[in-house]
Amino acid sequence: MKYLLIYFGMFWGFSMISQNKEVLYGLEEVPQSMLLNPGARINYSKHIGIPFLSQIHVNGGSSGVSVYDIFQESSTNINDRIRSKIFELKNTDFFTATQQIDVLNFGWKSKKEIYFSGGVYQELDFVLYFPRDLAILAWEGNANYIDKEFDLGEISTTGDLLMVYHFGVNKKINNKFTLGLRGKIYSSMLSFRSVNNRGSFATRISETDNNIYEHIINNADLTVNTSGIASLSELDGSSQVMSKVLGRAFFGGNLGVGVDIGATYEINEQWTASASVLDVGAIFHKKDVESYKVDGEYTLDGIELLFPPLGSGELTPTYYDDLVDEIENEFPIDTITSSYTQMRPVKTYASVKYNFGKAIGGSGACNCLKMGENQEYNQAVGFQYYSMFRPKGPQMAATLFYYRRFSNYLSVKATYTADSYSFTNIGLGLVANFGKVNFYIIANNLLWYENIAKAKSVSLQLGFNLIFAE
Amino acid sequence: MKKKFPLALIFIAVLLFFSACIKDTDFNQTDAIEITPIIELDFLFSNITSQTFTDIGINNLVLSDTTNFNFLNDEFTVDNLERAEFYFKNTNSMPVDFEMKFQFLDDNNEEHYLISIPIISGELNNPVISEHIENIETDGIISLTMANKVVLSIEASSSVDNLEGTLKLQSKTTYYLKIIQ
Repeated sequence: MKYLLIYFGMFWGFSMISQNKEVLYGLEEVPQSMLLNPGARINYSKHIGIPFLSQIHVNGGSSGVSVYDIFQESSTNINDRIRSKIFELKNTDFFTATQQIDVLNFGWKSKKEIYFSGGVYQELDFVLYFPRDLAILAWEGNANYIDKEFDLGEISTTGDLLMVYHFGVNKKINNKFTLGLRGKIYSSMLSFRSVNNRGSFATRISETDNNIYEHIINNADLTVNTSGIASLSELDGSSQVMSKVLGRAFFGGNLGVGVDIGATYEINEQWTASASVLDVGAIFHKKDVESYKVDGEYTLDGIELLFPPLGSGELTPTYYDDLVDEIENEFPIDTITSSYTQMRPVKTYASVKYNFGKAIGGSGACNCLKMGENQEYNQAVGFQYYSMFRPKGPQMAATLFYYRRFSNYLSVKATYTADSYSFTNIGLGLVANFGKVNFYIIANNLLWYENIAKAKSVSLQLGFNLIFAE
Repeated sequence: MKKKFPLALIFIAVLLFFSACIKDTDFNQTDAIEITPIIELDFLFSNITSQTFTDIGINNLVLSDTTNFNFLNDEFTVDNLERAEFYFKNTNSMPVDFEMKFQFLDDNNEEHYLISIPIISGELNNPVISEHIENIETDGIISLTMANKVVLSIEASSSVDNLEGTLKLQSKTTYYLKIIQ
């Protein structure tokens, strides 16, 4: 348990926040910003991501607790700190982990000034809502909670490992408006979800007076959907499992379709607005599907002894075994193999920014490098909004940012984000161009870098591309 | 010369990232984590009359019944049960004293723990409640968790034939667990 907790703590510390990529959004020097807004402005003629290195992204988050909260060096007992956190957290608090690796990423501008882009990326997405009542029950027991109804419906978790094949078009419609659309094919490798559960467990003073208490499971209805997992149990060893899972990456898994749409509107020289909606789609789980469903009600009030008269050689009734059988019969686990459809978690970005500072490519009201287009400036400030749909509602974030282009070689974007994790998230992104080589590195929660154990979220993105100027 | 500028900044940025650290934390504290739930769970109950005795035979003074209690000696209970407190409530409306015994046995019927409870006689219109609390810990817990069945015996101090009234047993157990790694 110790090593499991340490591993969890380290993972927690190093790879936390949600899928929000607030620094990368709108960072037009990086081709991967098109994955966040297919309608982003594009100022190059083509790009090629370095395979497997064009975007490495790990993140995750805990909305209510940090590693430091639990494992701090302190005179207080760790058990008191855990107990305190269990009661402090709400059932809407959550733990998330996401990870992305760009396998391929490329794009080019056609003669008709349409920028086509495509690629393949692998994504892991996990969320677990904190089942507060069950945590209290496990930590404290029921002795001090007679009559309390522990909510079984707080069990809510999803997890997906998938490969995404995408192809998009981006067109500058006129001097002000750029529109983009991206189609996606999802190839799910592993998936599970347990949402919309319900039911309760309570211990109350007996109303029938049969015994002291009644232990009641009321209106239970719990479901776990899995795909791509059941068949793995038949395999021998991790190499076979790995081989089978990777085999699904190339359209061998359960397939789905989705679309991203985005736009940028240059209101005037100073003001620019943009927005995008990502992953509007679904995965259709048809292969290797197993869903497990338990429902029922039961009241336990102990074992009643009947003292039956027994003849010679007769055995006493099997009270205990009968009770176990009765409970199992009340809560049969149905294994269902019928297909199911899973909606992708839709993400939304919106941004407005104010450009100012030194004119780029000339001075005054015209862009002397791109005649007829709005003047560009080397600095900008703005506001961004992000939301992502999760089983218990959207996770939202608001970001203020400052962007500065130091030269053709270097741009920097700094962000301040308020989200479910904290109100102290400072992020920084740095983009550098060495000739055709484009490198970027982005991290957030920099205030906690001195001791990231105190951060509820930290994320990292970096990547290399080759970019060919217009 | 200009290109060295971003190179230096990138170098510093990457260094900054790798300078992130975890400090003022002690993961060895996992050794001290103890989960100590207290669980209330109904135990045995019964409701007997003089008929229950006479079904076995006229002038019969003893009733006995047995049930498995498999979770008492399963690995989880053996490893984590610190203390168990049994609470028994007998409501007697028969004008007879009883002696109630709970024997905790293993598969070979070897007794590992015994609880004896005297029950005071009552009246049909004035039942008498006898309560008993049995607190078991330390060596008692070791003995208790070697058992996996319970024999309940009820012995009447005198004949109960044709007596009115009931002897109602209600009971619960409070399990004090201590789960450590």
